[in-house]
Amino acid sequence: MSIISVSGVTKIYRQYRRFPGIIGSVRSLFTRQYSEEIAVKDITFSIEKGEAVGYLGPNGAGKSTMIKMMTGILLPSAGEVRVLNEIPHKARKNNSQHLGVVFGQRSQLWWDLPVTDSFELHKYIYKISDESYRKNLGFCTELLSLSDFINKPVRQLSLGQRMRVEIAMALLHEPEILFLDEPTIGLDVMAKDQIRQFLRAVNQEKKTTILLTTHDMKDIEEICPRMIIVNKGSLVYDGSVAALRSKLGDERRVVIEFAQDPGSIEISGLTLIKEEGSRKTFLFTRNGTTVFDYVSRIAEKYPIEDVSIEDVDIESIIRRLYKQLAAEDEESQGRQPILVGGAN
Amino acid sequence: MKTYLMFTAKAFSNQMAYRSEVWFRLLGNFVTILIQVAIWKAVIGEVDVGQVSIETMTTYSILNTLLTALLLNGISGKVDSSLKSGSISSELVKPISYPLYLLFEGLGGSVYQLVFTAVPSFLIAWLYFGIMPPASPVFLAAYVTALLMALAISFLLGYLVSLIAFWFMNHFALSWMLGGLLTIFSGSFLPLWLFPPTWEGVAKLLPFQFLGYVPASLYLGVIPAESILGVFIAGIIWIAILLLIVQWLWKKAISRLVIQGG
Ligand SMILES: Nc1ncnc2c1ncn2[C@@H]1O[C@H](COP(=O)(O)OP(=O)(O)O)[C@@H](O)[C@H]1O
Ligand SMILES: [Mg+2]
Repeated sequence: MSIISVSGVTKIYRQYRRFPGIIGSVRSLFTRQYSEEIAVKDITFSIEKGEAVGYLGPNGAGKSTMIKMMTGILLPSAGEVRVLNEIPHKARKNNSQHLGVVFGQRSQLWWDLPVTDSFELHKYIYKISDESYRKNLGFCTELLSLSDFINKPVRQLSLGQRMRVEIAMALLHEPEILFLDEPTIGLDVMAKDQIRQFLRAVNQEKKTTILLTTHDMKDIEEICPRMIIVNKGSLVYDGSVAALRSKLGDERRVVIEFAQDPGSIEISGLTLIKEEGSRKTFLFTRNGTTVFDYVSRIAEKYPIEDVSIEDVDIESIIRRLYKQLAAEDEESQGRQPILVGGAN
Repeated sequence: MKTYLMFTAKAFSNQMAYRSEVWFRLLGNFVTILIQVAIWKAVIGEVDVGQVSIETMTTYSILNTLLTALLLNGISGKVDSSLKSGSISSELVKPISYPLYLLFEGLGGSVYQLVFTAVPSFLIAWLYFGIMPPASPVFLAAYVTALLMALAISFLLGYLVSLIAFWFMNHFALSWMLGGLLTIFSGSFLPLWLFPPTWEGVAKLLPFQFLGYVPASLYLGVIPAESILGVFIAGIIWIAILLLIVQWLWKKAISRLVIQGG
């Protein structure tokens, strides 16, 4: 039995027209004009107990909407969501005891109180026993290094520290499922890294089922063996990260800062995609040779100041996914436009 | 219940972060009382204000100034912003009742105000202006009961305003209107017995009198003993009416939230 099952779910937001000004606000009361926005379009997937799934998509793809439907604070317009075998909206209070939820852009902490006070309140809200409270707090404090700032008021924490606290709090009551909506948004590399490692540990050691939304590909690679990609409300990929890479070819972007502008250079296997004087950006496709081989080959001829290697961002992955789909579509007409790659 | 009392306790400690404000509040209260007393001194010398003495009016002014600090109508801002910003989502994913959470959290603020503003202000006012004792132990008990009613009614009015604001217009306009109605119809500055008869009649049909006139008049024994029961019944009816309206609006707000996502 799946712990989460989403079948044929659609969410249409209806937005009533608003008129500006005071007279306008009165007029808004009587108007029935509205526009519709399809935020989630006929999505189906299911998640087994203990999985860690990344829900990836660009801004506005409908990720938060899906999380809200799974936590029971939003009703689907069509289709059925089941979480822990219940309809989330109907079983909101009961389910909430077994769910941990982190909304990346919203704090659940008491701004003026020390972190420990918010934790303690959480202990009462979820009726956590002293023993498991101590145990879980210990686990989180150690792995997220909370002890440096656990007695500080929340308003004095950095964004990264606050996010670590939010995540720790969501886990104090040992939820069966942890939902995270963009937990790494706006964080620096160090903080992102610590959170990713922690979430992986939680999934592996505590067997907590994790579903996290993000538009950062890296979050998924490091935490989630499985990913679901959505775009403009529709599911475009559900499968493993490795399967997607092999499907799309493993591309990376290499930015090289030369000591002097070397003029035009040509190296087979690297495609020049951007040129800003001595700074050049290449696209690199893995094909047996590593990036370092290429870079050292270039460095033999031209002095290099700096090199950075970036993963391809989600937008270009989706773009390529679509290209791929279109190409496959031409080959075999009438195929369903959804890729379900070899799961795990 | 213990969980909700924790909210009260935390809201109390939360306020401690702003304890430097205490001096300003004490000063503000003192000045407010000072001005009111000066006004009544001038008025009582000039015109006939019925059988009330300057001592009565001084006590009335002090009691009302202190009561204002304890009332809960200020929660409307909190509900309004959490409905509009969507942070209500975080409250709804917790196994608690949001309205109860609000009430108990608000009470934490009131307890804080009681300890750090009302009691010290009372002592200062007592030493400086003098305060009449309650009319009798019965009236003292009635006064304390009326204070609890005032808390309940102010909470419900504030909550009501924020729920209405969720649909209609901006919360400031409504809160401002509530503030205006309270200033006049609660009788906190001008006691209802000084209103022209028609307006006195109107004021006594509204719930606002419970947030000013009723508690202070009970303390002073201005309301005759045989009327106390009637006043309390009216108060309870108001609490019940407001409770029903607020429950109904809350259900509507939630179902809209759940369908339209805020
Ligand atoms: N309450 C709402 N009312 C109307 N439209 C909304 C509402 N919430 C989200 N939307 C729209 O639905 C789409 C998906 O939003 P969302 O789920 O927040 O995306 P994501 O989290 O992936 O960025 C967006 O186009 C957004 O503008
Ligand atoms: Mg989002």
